[in-house]
Amino acid sequence: MMRRRMILVFLMPALTLYLCFLVFPAIQAFYLSLFETSGFGDNVKWVGLRNYSRLLTDHIFWLSVGNMLVILLAGGAAVFGFAFLFTVLLNSGIWGKKLFRAMIFMPNVIAAIAITTFWSFVFMPRYGLLTNILKFVGLEDLAKMAWTAPENIIWAMLVGLVWISTGFFTILILSGADKIPIDMVEAARLEGANNRQIFRLITLPMMWDVLLITLVLWVVQAITVFEFPYAFGGPEINQNLYTPSIYLYIMGFGQRDPIYQLGYATAIGVTMFLMMVISVTVLRLLLRRDQVEY
Amino acid sequence: MKSRKSILPRRWPRRWKNAASYIIVGGWSGFSLFFVLWVVFASLKSTRKLFSKPWSIPYDPAFGNYVKTWVSSRFGDYFLNSLLVVSLSVLVLLIVSTPAAYVLSRGKFRSRQVISSFLVFGMGVPIPLLFVPLAVIMAKLGLADTLIGLGLVYVAVSIPFTVFVLQGFFSSLPSELESAARIDGCKDWQIFWHVMLPLAKPGILTVAILNFVGLWNEFQLALVLIDSPENRTLSLGMYSLITSMKYSGGDWAGLFAGVTIVMIPTIALFLFLSDRMISGITMGGVK
Repeated sequence: MMRRRMILVFLMPALTLYLCFLVFPAIQAFYLSLFETSGFGDNVKWVGLRNYSRLLTDHIFWLSVGNMLVILLAGGAAVFGFAFLFTVLLNSGIWGKKLFRAMIFMPNVIAAIAITTFWSFVFMPRYGLLTNILKFVGLEDLAKMAWTAPENIIWAMLVGLVWISTGFFTILILSGADKIPIDMVEAARLEGANNRQIFRLITLPMMWDVLLITLVLWVVQAITVFEFPYAFGGPEINQNLYTPSIYLYIMGFGQRDPIYQLGYATAIGVTMFLMMVISVTVLRLLLRRDQVEY
Repeated sequence: MKSRKSILPRRWPRRWKNAASYIIVGGWSGFSLFFVLWVVFASLKSTRKLFSKPWSIPYDPAFGNYVKTWVSSRFGDYFLNSLLVVSLSVLVLLIVSTPAAYVLSRGKFRSRQVISSFLVFGMGVPIPLLFVPLAVIMAKLGLADTLIGLGLVYVAVSIPFTVFVLQGFFSSLPSELESAARIDGCKDWQIFWHVMLPLAKPGILTVAILNFVGLWNEFQLALVLIDSPENRTLSLGMYSLITSMKYSGGDWAGLFAGVTIVMIPTIALFLFLSDRMISGITMGGVK
């Protein structure tokens, strides 16, 4: 039997650090969002929920939410489309499954900030790799396209983001698919089940948990995404690349000319957190109902 | 996932389907390889050549790009900063997380489940929510703009994932060994130290590598918590290099030398340990 004292000693260091530098700041965020403050300690003014009402009419904030939705929905469709495609193909009995899996996953071990540099070069106007290829195959009109113009830049960014995320979600979905016992499929086939029945009655139900977890993960990642679009935007990032996290950072810490609206910035963070909690809850409810129907 | 054949037309012969699979999967995988090779090649050309012949192989490598980035752009200092803060953070992280995970998976006490869920909750906290509060706390503690402050935050935000994965790992170990050790008269901490810890080594190694790679690449917290150039981590240095390009003109070759310096350590780890890393991530599900 473990002694009480040992349990305490073993748990305390981790819990202390966790409380001080994660839980406490997370709670403090809710409190800070009720103030107007530009510094640390002085000029703190209580404004109640006014930071939040200001958010409602802040069109830059809504622009960032729109961008977030593009990433969440369009990016999500692409990421999950590719991830499922690769899962099916990798499980179709081809040689080198582990090697391909590792290669598809690889961008995830490289710093986002390093990857954006490559993609900036790909989409660079006139000299970029993409323009280069398009010229080579004779698509002069497309080659002249301004991929990083304000109206296109989020799609250019999304290409790189999807490339990375596809690797991450492929390995998760693949591991879910690999847990399906093969003899179950074979037994069903012996009983005369066709492919569609096997998919509906075995594969889908057994994949359901993995699907739910990966969708939740994607929603959380898409709502809070910061590093990739921020680095892709470079210095003086275009507003069409703003996500709520980036807008939060700009309002709180600015770029070259700091703005220091700490209360307002934190209100953006809390709003983002609430959006995340609501989407995850809705997602869970939706998928749970589907599961019962099955 | 559909079972085997359904995604491609049914009448295609098996050989064609296989060929199609190889082309699609191989193409995507090949792009990863192309990415690394292209960046390394780009870092070995002069910027003028990079623009005039972006696809060429540099037969006369311009190593000067690396010297410039490593010395003038101070990537040498940033590399050391990153190495220091990331290694120490991972070390502290393991020292605090392993005992906690052990107790949470093997201990029998009432609040065990509550504490477990409480720790898992931390995986759902978005890091940007912590930007302002952490800056305020660090200023109060006098740790603003220090690598120690950054390291403490790195440890804290990595605890939930690490404990979660290690807990799963400890739970998968056979309990017979524990009882045997107890019968032989081992004290509870001796069981942990001499029996369970050695058995848990593979799991500990896995989370160590995953956290090392994750923190090596970390950018947003460093951006918020570090100000002075001498405290920059490698990813911050990379960002400042991108930013400074705007004024100094486009030294793209030097930039790609920077990219290569940033990615070489993690790619090297991945080359040797990709299986372990991938299984660790699928085990934890979250990072």
